[in-house]
Amino acid sequence: MALSFIVIDESELDCFIARKIIQNASKGFDVEVFQNPLLAFDRIKTENYPGKFDVIHIILLDLQMPLMNGFEFVEAFEKLEVDIQQHYHIHILSSTRNKNDINRLLDYASVFSVIEKPLTAEKLQLVIKNL
Amino acid sequence: MSEKIKILYVDDEPENLTGFKASLRLNYQIFVASTIPDALQHLRNHADIRIIFCDQRMPGKTGVDFFEEVRISYPLPVRILITGYTDIEATIEAINKGNIFRYIKKPWVEVDVISAIDEANKFYLANSMLQVKNEELQKAYNELNKFAYSVSHDIRGPLTGLLGAINIAREIDNIDEIKEMLFLMEKSLNKLDAYILNMHDYYSLQRGELRISDINFAELMDELKPLYSVHAKVNNINFSIEVLQEEEFRCDKSSLKLILSNLLSNAFKYQDKAKEHKSVEIIVEVKSAQATIYIRDTGVGILGSHIGEIFNLFYRANSQEVGSGFGLYNVKNALLKLNGHIEVNSVMHQGSTFKVIIPSI
Repeated sequence: MALSFIVIDESELDCFIARKIIQNASKGFDVEVFQNPLLAFDRIKTENYPGKFDVIHIILLDLQMPLMNGFEFVEAFEKLEVDIQQHYHIHILSSTRNKNDINRLLDYASVFSVIEKPLTAEKLQLVIKNL
Repeated sequence: MSEKIKILYVDDEPENLTGFKASLRLNYQIFVASTIPDALQHLRNHADIRIIFCDQRMPGKTGVDFFEEVRISYPLPVRILITGYTDIEATIEAINKGNIFRYIKKPWVEVDVISAIDEANKFYLANSMLQVKNEELQKAYNELNKFAYSVSHDIRGPLTGLLGAINIAREIDNIDEIKEMLFLMEKSLNKLDAYILNMHDYYSLQRGELRISDINFAELMDELKPLYSVHAKVNNINFSIEVLQEEEFRCDKSSLKLILSNLLSNAFKYQDKAKEHKSVEIIVEVKSAQATIYIRDTGVGILGSHIGEIFNLFYRANSQEVGSGFGLYNVKNALLKLNGHIEVNSVMHQGSTFKVIIPSI
């Protein structure tokens, strides 16, 4: 099964780091980064998948972003058609340690895990192993 | 002299009401009611009634019952019961239940009533003060909550980014990639630094005193201009300043500077990079003891649905540029202190105009 990654993070540095770590893990992984969550959402909403069930898109999503924060993103994502949703696994990547927020996030059906920043090769391996 | 203390006296015997009013009306503003509905009417019409006297023996309802009811809808006025010796059990009960502040024995003498009013008024003031302080505390507490929340993102965020970068630097051999990452690390640190400087502004506004001095806007603009000239030149933004001041203007200079520099920074920051003709314009006009300042840009504009929120703490309406969510909140607070106000006019993709009006102090 092929893997592709979508990184949604307002910080340019964090996008750079995520891309680097993902590419270091395997040259075969596709990485797309978005600093603007609205653009990322539009892209997901309008993407066509003619029978492409062999690709899983892993979304690494930051929480505090202008225009659309991580919570709003997840809420909007869960309103998309199930056909679209099933191509994606959302993992929250944030510097937060707020227990309330973390529990609230894990309550969303589409959120697979909450990862504390900074992203490291080991943390990425956990995501890949637990697909 | 301050206004007279407002007092409501409730008693079903008209001669008691007349007596009460006659002896106290010179020093206090007295409202009288011979029935409970009349009493409630007074309370509705005069939110600032401070003290209620009520006779224990009223037709249909005891004074204690009335107080128990009234304290739910009107918790602020201090309640004093007037009662004969035989009602002492009811009085004790009422005091214990916390329905009344104190009681006066019937027949009352003026000196007792006046001392009761004095005490009750002190109690009322302490209570109201407490309420004001409580509201202030609640506001401070809410902001503290926002701060605690933002610390994890705005302070911890850049730090975890730097840690992540150091981690992967060990595995990068390409010097160009290292340089690119150093550039991003620097940007991240600058953002953190700006956040801390803004936080400092926030605190000085909250705690700082005003220092009023004569303001010469032309001189003030000469101080501010060099802060933007490099940025204007590099990004090809035309920066024009116009000052019309023929009269004296007095204000707190540091608050004024904070307002202007935040608005100017935004005007430069949120330019539309694709546009050929980019400009920032500031016009200051001092007339009839007030300054009207226009700051106009040819920037990206603010979405109508965001305009109501841009002055909120930590609100950011744009992802294109690095903002802390402090700037306009600080502007709003500074204007509050100076008794000024601000209006925004913005058209998407054309630009924004901020109009600030500040009275001379």
